[in-house]
Amino acid sequence: MRNIFTTVVLLLSAVLLSSGCTKKQDVNEKVLNLVSPAEIKGYDPIQADDLYSGREISKIYEGLLQYHWLKMPYELVPNLAESMPEISKDGITYTFKIRKGVKFQDDAAFPGGKGREMTAQDFVYSIKRLADSKNQATGWWVLDGKLAGLNEWREKNAKLPASNYDEEVEGIKALDNYTLQFKLAKKFPQFMYSLAMPFTYVVAKEVVEKYGKEFINHPVGTGPYVLPIFDQGKKITYTKNPTFREKLYPSDASPEFKNLLADAGKKLPLVDKVVVHVMKETQPAWLKLNKGEIDYYSVPKDNFASAIKDNKLTPDLAKKGFILEIAPALDVTYTAFNFENKLFHNKKLRQAMYLAFDEKKSNELFYNNTAFPAQSIIPPGIAGNIKDYLNPYKGLKLEEAKKMLAEAGYPEGKGLPELKYDIPDSTVSRQSGEFFQQQMAQIGVKIKIVTSPWPEFQAKVKKKAVEIYGLAWGADYPDAENFLQLFYGPNKSPGANGSNYDNPEFNKQFEDAVVMQDSPERTAKYEKLNKFLAEEVVAMFGVHRQSYILEHGWLRNYHPTDLHHDAVQYLNIDTAKKAELLKNF
Amino acid sequence: MNLYAYILRRLLYVIPVLLGVCLVIFVLFNLVAPDPAFILLGKHATHQQIAELHHELGMDKPFIAQYFDTVKTAFTFDFGYSWASKQNIWQMIKAGAGPSLSVTGPLFVISNIFAISLALLVAFYRGKLIDKFVLVLSIAGMSIPSLAVVLFGQWFFAYKLGLFEISGYENGFPNFIPYVILPVILYVFISFGGDTRFYRTVILDEAYQDYVRTARSKGLSELKVMFKHVLKNSMIPILTQIIIQIPYLILGLIFAESFFSIPGLGAMTINAINNSDFPVIKAMTILSAVAFILFGVITDVLYTVVDPRMKLK
Amino acid sequence: MSTEVKKSNSLLKAALLKIVSEKVSLIALIIVAIYFGTALLTSLNLVASTWNTSIGASYLAPGADALFGTDIFGRSVATRVIKATETAVAIGVVVSIIAIVIGTTLGMLAGYFGGIIDEIIVWFYTTFSSIPSIMLLVAIAFILGKGTTTVFLSLGLTSWVGLCRIVRAEVMKHKEREYIAAANAIGATHSRKLIKHILPNISHLLIINFTQTFDSAVKAEVVLSFLGLGVVGRPSWGTMIDDSKLELARGVWWQLAAATLAMFVIVLAFNILGDALRDALDPKLKGK
Repeated sequence: MRNIFTTVVLLLSAVLLSSGCTKKQDVNEKVLNLVSPAEIKGYDPIQADDLYSGREISKIYEGLLQYHWLKMPYELVPNLAESMPEISKDGITYTFKIRKGVKFQDDAAFPGGKGREMTAQDFVYSIKRLADSKNQATGWWVLDGKLAGLNEWREKNAKLPASNYDEEVEGIKALDNYTLQFKLAKKFPQFMYSLAMPFTYVVAKEVVEKYGKEFINHPVGTGPYVLPIFDQGKKITYTKNPTFREKLYPSDASPEFKNLLADAGKKLPLVDKVVVHVMKETQPAWLKLNKGEIDYYSVPKDNFASAIKDNKLTPDLAKKGFILEIAPALDVTYTAFNFENKLFHNKKLRQAMYLAFDEKKSNELFYNNTAFPAQSIIPPGIAGNIKDYLNPYKGLKLEEAKKMLAEAGYPEGKGLPELKYDIPDSTVSRQSGEFFQQQMAQIGVKIKIVTSPWPEFQAKVKKKAVEIYGLAWGADYPDAENFLQLFYGPNKSPGANGSNYDNPEFNKQFEDAVVMQDSPERTAKYEKLNKFLAEEVVAMFGVHRQSYILEHGWLRNYHPTDLHHDAVQYLNIDTAKKAELLKNF
Repeated sequence: MNLYAYILRRLLYVIPVLLGVCLVIFVLFNLVAPDPAFILLGKHATHQQIAELHHELGMDKPFIAQYFDTVKTAFTFDFGYSWASKQNIWQMIKAGAGPSLSVTGPLFVISNIFAISLALLVAFYRGKLIDKFVLVLSIAGMSIPSLAVVLFGQWFFAYKLGLFEISGYENGFPNFIPYVILPVILYVFISFGGDTRFYRTVILDEAYQDYVRTARSKGLSELKVMFKHVLKNSMIPILTQIIIQIPYLILGLIFAESFFSIPGLGAMTINAINNSDFPVIKAMTILSAVAFILFGVITDVLYTVVDPRMKLK
Repeated sequence: MSTEVKKSNSLLKAALLKIVSEKVSLIALIIVAIYFGTALLTSLNLVASTWNTSIGASYLAPGADALFGTDIFGRSVATRVIKATETAVAIGVVVSIIAIVIGTTLGMLAGYFGGIIDEIIVWFYTTFSSIPSIMLLVAIAFILGKGTTTVFLSLGLTSWVGLCRIVRAEVMKHKEREYIAAANAIGATHSRKLIKHILPNISHLLIINFTQTFDSAVKAEVVLSFLGLGVVGRPSWGTMIDDSKLELARGVWWQLAAATLAMFVIVLAFNILGDALRDALDPKLKGK
């Protein structure tokens, strides 16, 4: 008996000791080690409605257009298209020339296992696939009502047992193997952006048909990397696509990216292998970064104090060769009112609540003072954002708030019912809910916090079953339209306008502005709309966040970005520097 | 009633229980679960898309048909597709079972050996200081919330001391070993209190039986009594306890898997709960219920066959 | 009142005496009393009424200003831990009551009437206990929506099976006893026999079960908080532990430590008390 006991103790201690040695990494191989902070929801482009799945899909699949890697503000350039399209005078017809000689990656779905050449017909198929109601595509909204005849095709085929892909749709035609023509249902200049989004990436019909429901695990694109099968593991390993076309690193750059031109003219992708670690918890990822096992990671909120002082790295991190990258994100956080509730038609009530919210303190508690206070909805970096504009109703202005609340008809909150504040149920959301509650209590507005899991929370917003709720909106593309539409009447729930705000005057101005080509006149219109939303306090705009990203000294060509899903192909590793820097770890 | 009739009856009893389980699951998940439309269709859903989806998922079928679909899945394990990841759920379960077992397997073996040896030790020295010490220790161990153990353990042993991998996982033996050591140790700590106390009670139960006293009075040494009689006879309840733990092996460890990023079934379940991914929650519920029922029967039958003293009802 | 009932009452009295006479169990009893007292005082706002007021900067370390430091909003962790006692005791008591009412009622009905009623109830709890409780908790929470009531109900509805089994077996035994035969002879109704005669004789089981259910309910609250299904709008040990999972990275350990300690002490006290009660009330388990 004693022996059993001793054996167990010995065994345990042996295990304890052996675990002390962790694995070493091979520094000579050019491998990128990245983190995805969310699960990858498979590799079907038409379902890529979250940023992280979009990024993985973009390693394998490609679209007609892309954002220039070294230009800011964002600039669309051709990718699978040979050049930018020819647009008809009325802004309705877009004609693309497709790049010749682009091959799909090798896969058993093709005869002989060899990937065939991609043609204009593949785009026609891929776009129809996005529109096919049987696929329940989450990306359908980008083309909903945009292309001539596509909605009709969708509705007609919804009733058929199998959708008819052979039927011609006026809005999308292959004129020959290398010419693709889009016809819009009405003028919509933002259409070009949708061709750089993962939803419209090109897929091959053979592959979709061979794998059926399992297509999401068998990505076969034209892009820089291949992944033979997605096994839903926590570690995804991509290798260089051997049949990738001659695509070169850009040779021109905006002034702030001139220092990233060392690899100009080199054939992409620049590294042989990419390993993506799916890690939802921030702490393990942060530690892996500190051990040099991943190449870059955003500084977690709770590690901020230990990593950054006065917007600079702490000395011991700097000594290890870390570089801090700070870049504004194209987003806005806001607390929305549900305008279906007549209570919120009282403008002074909304203004009073906004005046009572201490943005400075909130920024300090939840963003370590790194975010820009949002004066209105359009973030900096997008035309329509008004530089140096200050919203007169942004808090904290407690005395004004109290006065305004009295003018609204609720002196010291008397007569105002308890308001429900809906938030997702994460720990940080719960804390921000408590903070909101405290802030409103200053002027006597009583708040009840209601937490729900994220999908349930979304469902409640879509069903208009909320009063006040907190949300963030990230840009789908760099155009103010993507933000302003959040308050456009016809987009009411279940559309993106979860506030259900519907102001005929605003709607009309919005409609006028969005069909205009980018021009100073349009920017002026956007600014006017932006200011209108701000002063109406249609929502309590919070902050525009900034990314604080720590990268290792051996990583080349990196800059933080929201919309370059395909960034990985441009990144490079300096193996000599890596070997040298790792000695300090 | 003879032995075989009892066993047969016990086996047949599985049917009403399984139907009952399916009924509860059906009521909870088909009748009152939330609408999947907003989860499946993303942030720009339209009314028309929602209607199309309801038809596509067969949510307009009569309830009785939907109930039979639920019963069918308990036998076919054809759980359909996840709402959140759009993956085939049975494939997801197969992928998650390995990582879960790589933690729960060693944990199961180590914690049971540890607890049984400790229980034997203190039963041998019952009433002495060591017995009291272990008893107090196990009650104390039982009183610490397991989440706190996992949080503190990961922070202290992996971050502060750097003894273990913080988190992560690699498929295949022996690649996974560095990642599972800390979770296994923490869970041995979490479970040792309850286990030790249980086994101690079982062993003492036997130690106070008349025949043990007789053996002792015949002058057999305490050590001999302990191994020859007590351990041998308490083997049945011990084995029962061990078998009944097996379904939990498949379910995985909910906290540990999500904190240590182990892609097992526990983490999958937590994910599904966070995403309101009802088909996956439903699948895991059915799967674990089937496992519980199955191992319940095995235990009962084993008990009946092995233990001659078991009275047949 | 029958002699059996008197015997049971005297058994309880003896048990209480025994607990008081032993040092360890007496301390456990005192600790439980302190926690219950604290809960009562906080619910009347006599103690820890400032739990939502900030007393200094965010994340102050434990020291002279704040015994257990401060949380993200600069509120005293010590005060919040005390306020959370109210939540914990409420959960423990309400959940136990729900579980005891369901478990006892069904167990007594099954044991007493036997036959088809027994079959149905046994089938019902076998079915129920075949589904892992975490899944049931989640499903019930989804149906009822979030909130404190949901925590009570979902935990209560998933904690009664064990007691139901024990009560059923015990009532089966008691049914055959002579005092029931005597009650039969004077023509007592079923409900009278069940409530007046049998219930008092199995009451010790309920008391032992209370200590166990209380413990597991308090521990389960942490799991619910982790799943985002916990109490909202007032402090609880579960939410405090959940908060600390991020804060540990800044080296903020005091919230985790304080909440864990507070919980550990009462769960331990209840564990010891439960053991002592079992020893005293259930003589056949004596000495183990």
